[in-house]
Amino acid sequence: MQKFAPSLLAVGLAAALVGCQENGPQNPKITINKNPYPSTYKPVAISSTLITNATVLTGTGERLDDTDVLLVDGKVKQVGKDLSADADTTIDAMGKWVTPGIIDVHSHLGAYPSPSVESHQDGNEMTSPNTAEVWVEHSVWPQDPGFNRAREGGITSLQILPGSANLFGGRGVTLKNVPAHTMQAMKFPDAPNGLKMACGENPKRVYGRQGTLPSTRMGNMAGYRMAWAEAQEYKRAWDKYDADYEAGLNPEAPIRDIKHDTLRAVLEGEVLIHNHCYKAEEMAMMIDLSKEFNYHAGTFHHGVEAYKIADLLADNGSCAALWPDWWGFKMEAYDMVQENVAIVDAVKNSCAIVHSDSDTTIQRLNQEAGKVMYRANENGFDISEQHAIKWITSNAAKSLGIDDKTGSLEAGKQGDVVIWNQSPFSVYAKAEQVFVDGAKVYDRNDSAFQAQSDFMLGQQ
Amino acid sequence: MKNLSRSFSLSLVAAGLLSSGFASAQSLAIVNATLHTSTEQGILENASIIMDNGKITAINPTQVQADKVIDAKGQIVTPGFISSINQLGLVEVSAVAGSRDAGEEKAGIDFDVSLAYNAHSSLIPYARKGGVTRDVITPHGGDSIFAGLASVVDLSGSFDSDIQKQAALIVDLGERRKGSRAFTLQTLMNKLEEHQRKASKKSKKDDDSKPSTEDKVMAKVLSGQMPLVVGVSRAADIVELLKVKKQFGIKLVLNGAQDAVVVKEKLAQAQVPVIISAMDSLPSSFDSLHASLDNAAVLEKAGVKVILTVGGDASHNIYQLRFDAGNAVSYGMSQHGALKAVTSNVADVFGINAGRLEVGKAADVVVWSNDPFELSSHVNTMIINGEEVSTQSRQDKLRDRYTTESTMPRAYTK
Repeated sequence: MQKFAPSLLAVGLAAALVGCQENGPQNPKITINKNPYPSTYKPVAISSTLITNATVLTGTGERLDDTDVLLVDGKVKQVGKDLSADADTTIDAMGKWVTPGIIDVHSHLGAYPSPSVESHQDGNEMTSPNTAEVWVEHSVWPQDPGFNRAREGGITSLQILPGSANLFGGRGVTLKNVPAHTMQAMKFPDAPNGLKMACGENPKRVYGRQGTLPSTRMGNMAGYRMAWAEAQEYKRAWDKYDADYEAGLNPEAPIRDIKHDTLRAVLEGEVLIHNHCYKAEEMAMMIDLSKEFNYHAGTFHHGVEAYKIADLLADNGSCAALWPDWWGFKMEAYDMVQENVAIVDAVKNSCAIVHSDSDTTIQRLNQEAGKVMYRANENGFDISEQHAIKWITSNAAKSLGIDDKTGSLEAGKQGDVVIWNQSPFSVYAKAEQVFVDGAKVYDRNDSAFQAQSDFMLGQQ
Repeated sequence: MKNLSRSFSLSLVAAGLLSSGFASAQSLAIVNATLHTSTEQGILENASIIMDNGKITAINPTQVQADKVIDAKGQIVTPGFISSINQLGLVEVSAVAGSRDAGEEKAGIDFDVSLAYNAHSSLIPYARKGGVTRDVITPHGGDSIFAGLASVVDLSGSFDSDIQKQAALIVDLGERRKGSRAFTLQTLMNKLEEHQRKASKKSKKDDDSKPSTEDKVMAKVLSGQMPLVVGVSRAADIVELLKVKKQFGIKLVLNGAQDAVVVKEKLAQAQVPVIISAMDSLPSSFDSLHASLDNAAVLEKAGVKVILTVGGDASHNIYQLRFDAGNAVSYGMSQHGALKAVTSNVADVFGINAGRLEVGKAADVVVWSNDPFELSSHVNTMIINGEEVSTQSRQDKLRDRYTTESTMPRAYTK
């Protein structure tokens, strides 16, 4: 047990193992409940809907003109021409465009809600560089008016992440963007949790000021490595417990540690890494770090310099969730290029995503993607609308581990759909109707389908 | 055609040595253009515009004479856009303290932030991509409610940039981190009263003591020559400010003003212009419960003069202004109104001789590939003070470096 000596965890484990009576009759098996705050989400209402004669961007790279989309039992039943179906509602979408529901992989809605008063600052547990034990879902205020504004912009699913002050900021949660008054009622059923990690300036600034590690980028790396080394020991302890129990022994379970539960879940592939990381050299090191400790480096967020290492990201199977043009607010955001997403996207097996990290641009992720498409096409790229839509639909779903459920208009996928007044890549584009699991959750022309937060009710 | 006569006194060599600035050695014409004039003339199809000596010298002359003629081939030509309320040239990287010069703890009424203006900032060429040719730079963030003086700069990026100082006095009211907003409003009123007294004493006693910069600034504010730009959002605060305007006869301009829509009729009646971000759509505080994407349209319809500005980290995102204008149109503002909100309205409020395609105005002109507010359009030609300027920035160089194949390390691609 010598190798455990430096950590508090190790002390705990050693103590736990002292009284172990491995040969007695077996005590009940200790198992960890991996879903203690389960989703209670139910679609708002289910009826069948036929959307006819639209220009459809499927999210799989196809554009289908003059096409119908049929939603039945909350799912996409069929996409094709002249569908004959007896739907409860038929919407004539001649001249309009239909896309999968838009997905934002990086939001702080609910955790940093509006109004952004002191009492609402729940997104960053800035008390330790490793707070892998916190779950941002426990901070989500479902009444954040931002959820409604985002829905009006076509957002049907979104990942809420903790902030980037810490090396390990805690677990993220993926939500269905439906109005609700509990977090659980928004929780995307069976979506994996994320784990927020952060590179670069933020952790070293926050903790450097407090005179604790990390105060440098090498301190950041040391912090990750020490945490993963501990997590590996924790996982080994549980693996040994499980194996010994299976072998008919009566081992004592390791002491439960919520922080290491999360890191262990990453090592076991159950929780996906979402890594705030701007710079090329840092992303390259984070990929090596993941190989050192045998987990997947996941999705890089912000990645202002992702275009410098587009090959490396694709080779590693890492998505890159990027802004079209944010820059200059920090040194690590200085080397922005407007074609970043397009350059990352151009590599084979890439997974380029446009994200918001903003309660305002989340309301027009379609325009954010449009800016990239047009700037890239002015500079030698040839990106179509049916391709660009993937950056905010299917690629985003892949990053969140929900691409088997949503992110494209294919038979069997969840009925998450947006009807736009025109091509979504116009500054004048507006979502007219939004569906989540086949249920209409927003209608620009019908106030009965325009949700309002408790907070805004009755304000003058 | 006298406007077309040009001086040959400058040799071509001398012209070449002149960096962009006031006088252009070459006269310039744009022909076959769709001119969005931002004047009562509205849109002129198949029109021409002539520029000389840094000014617009003719619109649709019967005969076009110029050293250089640009055929716009039916493209849209607008006045260069004028952005405002940001720190262009006063910050390079927001989190790098040494590159930040917009705010000063001890700043007051006489703080002239334009002394720190860096025409070589990398933010300027990037801002030009958005068709922005002029900008109202503003100080921010001192202890006092008086942040200091705004200046108007052109975006030529030249050390000979046209800098118009003392364009406005910037004041920050509304919610406070601590203390009461009543105190800040009282501070403003006391200051106005103090200088009103000074002015009347001076005229009575024939006082010949030299006035301080503050005295001069406040005299201009009290005479209505210099706009007082007040950062404020809550409707109740705006109502109080309207009383201050009435009492002192000042030229009040509201900035932020998310809840201006609540008192839009009062604002229209008092002829108070409002500077807003078209993208404010969330109740970020109890002062801004009415932030909405259609506020620009609602204010326009009520007859309020609207100026659109970029919210958030405005300095780095000035190029976004045209898309904000497009969104304002999408949410009900008229195309013409949105154009005015980024050109002539800004010029009128800050006393800038630009912002219109009109004879005598500064030759700040942009030729667009398409609808300037659309995501798909870009600047084809930009002219500032009668001279063509590039919209290439270091972002383009970085892109080219990493998209150009080379057997050598990227560092050798320049």
